[in-house]
Amino acid sequence: MQITKAAATHLTPEIILLIGGTLVMCASVLRGKSQREDIYAQRNNYAVASLICLLAAIAARYYRGVPEIGNADLGLFRFDASALAAERLTFLGGMILILMSWSTAPKGRLAEYYGCLLIILAAIPIVGASNDLVSMFLGLELVSFPTYILLGIVRNDNAGAEASLKYFLLSAFASCFFLLGVSYLFGFCGSTNLAVIQGSFGEGKRLMALGLLLAICGLAFRITAVPFHFYAPDVFEGTSVTMAGVMSYLPKVAGFVALIRLLGTGTLSPGASGVVIPVLLVCAALTMCIGNILAVAQNNLRRMMAYSSVAHTGYLLLALVALIRQDASPGVMYSYLAAYAAMTLGLFACLGEIEAAGGKSHLIGDLSGMFQRRPAASIGLTVALISLIGLPFTAGFWAKFMVFVGTVADRQTDSISMLMGALMAINAVIAASYYWRILSTLYAKSESNVPLRVFRPSLFFAYTICTVLTILWFFVPSAM
Amino acid sequence: MNILIPLLILVPLASALVIFFSGPRAKAMVPFGMLAAALTLLLSIGLCFQVYQAPSTLTQNAGAAQATIAPKVSFISETLRFVLPVSVAGQPIDWQLSFGADGISALMVLLTGIVGFFTVWLASSQIRVRTETYIGLLLVAISMLMGVFLSMDLLSFYIFFEAVLIPLILLIHGWGDGKNPQAASKRFLLFTLAGSIPMVVGLISLAMAPLANGQPSTVAFSELSAIAAQAASSGVPIGSKDSWAVWLLLLGFGIKLAILPLHTWLPMTYAAAHPNTTSLIASVVAKLGLYGLLRIVIPLTPVALSIEAQLVVGTLGAIVIVYGALVALSKDNMREVLAFSSLSHVGFITLGLMSMTREGLGGAALQMFNHGLITAAMFWILSMLEQRHGPIRLRSEDQGMAAQYPKLAVLLVFFTLAGAGLPGLNGFVGEFLTLSGMMRVCTTLVAIAVLGTVLGAWYGLRIVQRLLFGSNGTRYDNHNRPLAGVDLRAQEWIP
Repeated sequence: MQITKAAATHLTPEIILLIGGTLVMCASVLRGKSQREDIYAQRNNYAVASLICLLAAIAARYYRGVPEIGNADLGLFRFDASALAAERLTFLGGMILILMSWSTAPKGRLAEYYGCLLIILAAIPIVGASNDLVSMFLGLELVSFPTYILLGIVRNDNAGAEASLKYFLLSAFASCFFLLGVSYLFGFCGSTNLAVIQGSFGEGKRLMALGLLLAICGLAFRITAVPFHFYAPDVFEGTSVTMAGVMSYLPKVAGFVALIRLLGTGTLSPGASGVVIPVLLVCAALTMCIGNILAVAQNNLRRMMAYSSVAHTGYLLLALVALIRQDASPGVMYSYLAAYAAMTLGLFACLGEIEAAGGKSHLIGDLSGMFQRRPAASIGLTVALISLIGLPFTAGFWAKFMVFVGTVADRQTDSISMLMGALMAINAVIAASYYWRILSTLYAKSESNVPLRVFRPSLFFAYTICTVLTILWFFVPSAM
Repeated sequence: MNILIPLLILVPLASALVIFFSGPRAKAMVPFGMLAAALTLLLSIGLCFQVYQAPSTLTQNAGAAQATIAPKVSFISETLRFVLPVSVAGQPIDWQLSFGADGISALMVLLTGIVGFFTVWLASSQIRVRTETYIGLLLVAISMLMGVFLSMDLLSFYIFFEAVLIPLILLIHGWGDGKNPQAASKRFLLFTLAGSIPMVVGLISLAMAPLANGQPSTVAFSELSAIAAQAASSGVPIGSKDSWAVWLLLLGFGIKLAILPLHTWLPMTYAAAHPNTTSLIASVVAKLGLYGLLRIVIPLTPVALSIEAQLVVGTLGAIVIVYGALVALSKDNMREVLAFSSLSHVGFITLGLMSMTREGLGGAALQMFNHGLITAAMFWILSMLEQRHGPIRLRSEDQGMAAQYPKLAVLLVFFTLAGAGLPGLNGFVGEFLTLSGMMRVCTTLVAIAVLGTVLGAWYGLRIVQRLLFGSNGTRYDNHNRPLAGVDLRAQEWIP
């Protein structure tokens, strides 16, 4: 078990990000206590430094080109389409998140904030490229630890403490589940290599299924699947808007990428899939229904978005099942995640801009009449919400459509698939009702018509990018 | 390659965008919107001419139900090819969008053009607040409707079918003046989505059906209908395959055409929205469900559309005729009366479609067009009357409006009679054909439906009696403004 030279070469972007993150974190120590610069200059410096790291990583990927080896390097890492897609998703989200952080990062702890963010961005592609339980676990923990820190530093009140403690304890718990499952898998197969493990799926023992289920439990926490979703609303509520965007997107990408890696596509034996697929289906059904039903009941915008994020996990789990069963390309899930990034991060960026401009975005009612007060952000919100509902001319339409295609297609005789398709359809309608509630509030008449005039270019760029992508991807779905 | 087809979709859309982004010059945009709508109307007339002058390629040998769909004019561009990043059973999904028009779509395009133009025209005088945005949204809705009627494949049909929702909910929400436009627009959105999202499952399974025979999946109507016709002629037993897909499609279209247990969104929406908006919804948007039945369910699933489905939907259609008429008799808010009468008339069309005979289908297509015009006209008249009188209630007292507005009164009587199916006016032809088509399938349903026509005449005459006659209307003396008679007279070419 060693990192080959080829693997190290292909991991250049991640290495750049890790080093960059560490350097940014050290910067605050190196600069000492001389806090003479004003806060705006500091914000600009750190954000620009982080952006440069990210751009350097992207440039490194382009310079290195797409690796040709495919499945050849089957040591710790494997560089195939999946790995590249995970990297793309992460860098896309990272770009938007850094722009969002520009003016919302916590004042005193800029260095730690950006350092942690960059390390998370480096860790997710590592999970995506992992071909070994060890590298996968390392990648996952490399996502988790900076997240604890980030949750802890963005807010200094009780809610922030509750969010970070809750997330820390439950996440550690989930990691233990994952490790327990991994130990079974290792004990059964005698190897931590995923290719070997997937090769022995065919032997289809109960022990194997148990190990897989435990590992799935651990990952279900990251993707906020029911019944591991309880932390989501509290964490979303107890943190900043930008951090809520981070929490809704980055752990989800990491978790789903790990699931795809762990379960493989079309490699499960009838014995193992007989246990895993029903569990995933039940989990998907519960996640969709509970997420959506609880979201309807919320008045708090943050909690509603948390439950909405839970519901989207349910749809993604359906896509995952379709993927496992039909040996389909994982493109559905990556496209869905890309569309999800554009719409959810866009929504949080708009909320962030409204807050930065002096408005409130805590309750849904706070957005009342926002179209008069802040037209640009309201239009961004409108596009994001229409996309979340899944109406045409937005990326969300294709995202939902493709999950339907994956779930229903060529399984017409299978009543379970049909049932899941119908359930998802019902859920999409429930979801439309609460998204519409936000949307109609935006255009409602309100007594306070004071325009919010403070302009934050970075947040504006963030949601402009999201809005443009959301609309553009409708017309070019293959680019999603 | 027909240039009119993309223009029909793009002209209203582009002009709407111009209106939205016009900024401070917004006030001057109202005539611009009217111009765009007029241009759209001209384009749709042009398309109609092209379609009806094109040589008939349709070989009608096995009856209309089994005929394949062959557009007379078409627009297919290689750039409109959707490659989705998903593959099913190892086959990448690569769907070609195509647009085209045959007789039925040309008729509906013409209806959209006419109704759209007059709705925009009247909006300039009826809508007082944010007129230019209202007109812009109307133009978007027109564009999307054109897209539905011109699409020749499942995918673009579905995209436009869903997209019609967006401008409409905004129109209902933003300019509704009834009791609770917010609740109405929410109910409209949720009901329509509850229909259309399950429908997509049915559509996907239709598109995937060729995979079973080893052919690539396709969304083109022409190919799918050819496959369906082949299946029908090869004698596969009816109702053996895909029946759930048909039920999902029927559910989706059924909600859109407000069939009985799924109709509750319709009166609420019609009562809450501005009558001018309602005229577009009632005359064109409510026809989307029927158009879907005619275009997708009947030609593409002849094998799967079982006789049970045919009878269930037919029976619901017959019930809705009587139910709508009875409720229309009992309501006294004029908007609700019109809403339920529209519900009742849509029942006739459903009945005709579900007969699956050539008379029934032809009658239904014709009635879709005619009813569209009649309903739109009724709502326009209502909108003008409401502008002069405020909300119109039938039961308060006899209003005697004929004395004040003789021209409007004549029109109202005219359209009421047309709606009631008086021979010599357009309502008669369609109703007669649909009923004679259904006669071959089930006589009982026709008997129920005929009851509906009697009731229809009853509530029609009730409107006329309560509203127009009975007093000399001296209470209002200063309201007799010159009528918008010019734009109405253009309607009088109805057969």
